[in-house]
Amino acid sequence: MSRDNLNRRRFLQSTAAAALSAPSIARAQGSAVKVGVLHPVSGALSYSGQQGRIGAQLAIEDINAAGGIKALGGAKIEAVLGDAQSTPDGGNAEVEKMNSAGVAAIVGGYASSICLAASQTAARYNLPYIVDVGVVDSIVTRGLKNTFRFGPGFGVIAKTALDNLVAINDAAGKPAKTVMIVHEDSAFGSGLSKLLNTQLPERGFQVLEVISHPTPTRDFNNVALKVRAQNPDIVIPANYYNEYVLFARTMQQQRVRPKGIYSVLGGAASSYKFVKEFPEAAQYIMDCNHWFDPKNQKALELKKRIDARNEFYTYEVYMNYSCILLLADAIERAGSADRARIIGALENSTFGGHLMPYGPTKFVNGQNQGAAPVNTQVIGNDIQVILPASFASAKAVFPMPRA
Amino acid sequence: MKGLAPIATVAVLLALVPFITASNAVLNFLVMAFLIALAGQGWNILGGYGGQYSFGHAAFFGTGTYVTAVLQVRYGMNAWLCFALGIAGGALVGAVIGGLSFRSGLRGSYFALVTLAFAEVLRIVASVAPITGAGVGTLIKLDLRPEAFQFQSRAPFYWVLLALLVVSLILTRIIEDSRFGAYLVALRENEDAAKALGVDTTLVKLGAMTISAAITAAAGGFYAQYFLFVDAGIAYGPWISVEALLAPIIGGVGTVFGPLLGALVIRTLGELTKIVAGDAPGLDLVIYGSVLVAVVAFAPRGIAGLIERVRGRLTPPAAPSLERSHG
Repeated sequence: MSRDNLNRRRFLQSTAAAALSAPSIARAQGSAVKVGVLHPVSGALSYSGQQGRIGAQLAIEDINAAGGIKALGGAKIEAVLGDAQSTPDGGNAEVEKMNSAGVAAIVGGYASSICLAASQTAARYNLPYIVDVGVVDSIVTRGLKNTFRFGPGFGVIAKTALDNLVAINDAAGKPAKTVMIVHEDSAFGSGLSKLLNTQLPERGFQVLEVISHPTPTRDFNNVALKVRAQNPDIVIPANYYNEYVLFARTMQQQRVRPKGIYSVLGGAASSYKFVKEFPEAAQYIMDCNHWFDPKNQKALELKKRIDARNEFYTYEVYMNYSCILLLADAIERAGSADRARIIGALENSTFGGHLMPYGPTKFVNGQNQGAAPVNTQVIGNDIQVILPASFASAKAVFPMPRA
Repeated sequence: MKGLAPIATVAVLLALVPFITASNAVLNFLVMAFLIALAGQGWNILGGYGGQYSFGHAAFFGTGTYVTAVLQVRYGMNAWLCFALGIAGGALVGAVIGGLSFRSGLRGSYFALVTLAFAEVLRIVASVAPITGAGVGTLIKLDLRPEAFQFQSRAPFYWVLLALLVVSLILTRIIEDSRFGAYLVALRENEDAAKALGVDTTLVKLGAMTISAAITAAAGGFYAQYFLFVDAGIAYGPWISVEALLAPIIGGVGTVFGPLLGALVIRTLGELTKIVAGDAPGLDLVIYGSVLVAVVAFAPRGIAGLIERVRGRLTPPAAPSLERSHG
């Protein structure tokens, strides 16, 4: 009898304890905010995708180490990683999975075509989507309420690139008159080439030829031969990392030396990896591209950490790092992981704690208004900012000195 | 007609899936598998039954995709009509490529290479032609109304695609039982013998190619409506040519359910390896490739062939004759 009582009492105690502890377990589980981190970490764009993932993961680590989301009682951010496999349908499938996993928002995409598909799928669930890089302007002109782009789009990039090209050419006494464009044939390269092709003649440059190639391409000998035959003053490459490196090296091997290589969003031109591995091919290449604010202490600290890990500090890293910070700030201000409230917080975002030279964010129809590229040039073994003057660390070397 | 019962059973079972699971991730997975199965069914009619191995079914998939997308975006036509025209466009491209290559007497690997070349030419043209949006691609406007062939939820998409797939299964079954199907198999087994017996092999091949192209183009048109974005790499890229022939080869060439089985197995394998590989980039693809090699090595006649072999082993030798005497 007494044993029975004891058992019953124990039973009651244990169930009561379980009942009491259950909500706290539920709260503990619910307290992490899940964020989708989507990148093409395999396939043709895997290097860029992996770099982007590193940036996002570091930002999440830092936020969690600094006490998580304070408005949610120090809730940690939990990354739900996704591999878009370098295809739009791969990105789409990952968004579906992330939505099922209950993420509060998604950051990433990288390639324009992946961003287009992934953000549209996210829009079905009113799921906030922050585009890390994707530059095609239609990403933010489709009227999707959930989609925000932190970085600049084509329109702004092409205009800045042309303004700066004219400025550099004028400063050198206008040695360049003819141009050749070599671009990859998906949304990014062709879109850019189309813009440049119409605007370069208006600025007094003659476009001799436009050559497109697919990604991946593994041989640029014919393209380099064509460049040699046309002998343009300036070559403008617009392609992803691997193709960019290969093209630059092929030009070097075939001794094709135009007065300048001026890339717009060149996949490699402002990449420390390229400069370190192929310093001769990279020498004096100019680029109009995403770049961190060289006067920002946080950006420089992150560079040191990336260098210490033996990784390269590419734009994917600091743009994704910044996008995660931007999202965390929005969640903080929303005071909730509710999707609609996060979208509302992003719409009103004036976040300035990122690593880019954009100033405080301000979204109009999903596009960050302050976003702009800068001009860089490979000089010696380093990448210097040459324009705008407010950030410049060196003067442009143009035309390229003949070796 | 015999053999429709299994198709009906499969159709009803699959149609119930959206009622069982509310997970769009599952539906999306099945949609991608069915899409490959549909494209693969197109390939199967020409390659599996007719023995004409095409490496360029992207030519038809892409035409279906682009016709559906471009007519809508540039000329504001109704999406369903565009989809139908996409199928017709794919069939036309099939007839033209078929006419050119069969008339020139291309067979075997030469035929495979020519189809591959056509798909590549179309890809390059699409990546520079202004009408396709060149490399920028074509973006269909988001308009979530059934009239615009876009749906709020994934389930209607799933049912539409399932219906298309079932139609292709029934069509394959009808062809299997028809005189046309018999000609097709005859020319697969021995084209010269078939010719000697009076089969107009060129005409039969051309017919098979046109039907095959139309089915694969339907998959392409659906892709356009599902993702609302097309570029040259998606539409005419080699990925779909490979998937369209891999599904029936894995599932069982020249069988009605081969492409569907193959597509489901390939996609499931892809997902499983992703789970096994965790977040290590690309490892899933390595495992996926290795398993694929193993499947092909141990089941050269595909899964359908494997099932047959296992069934043959399990049933005692006397059973078939008994069945026959009863039937």
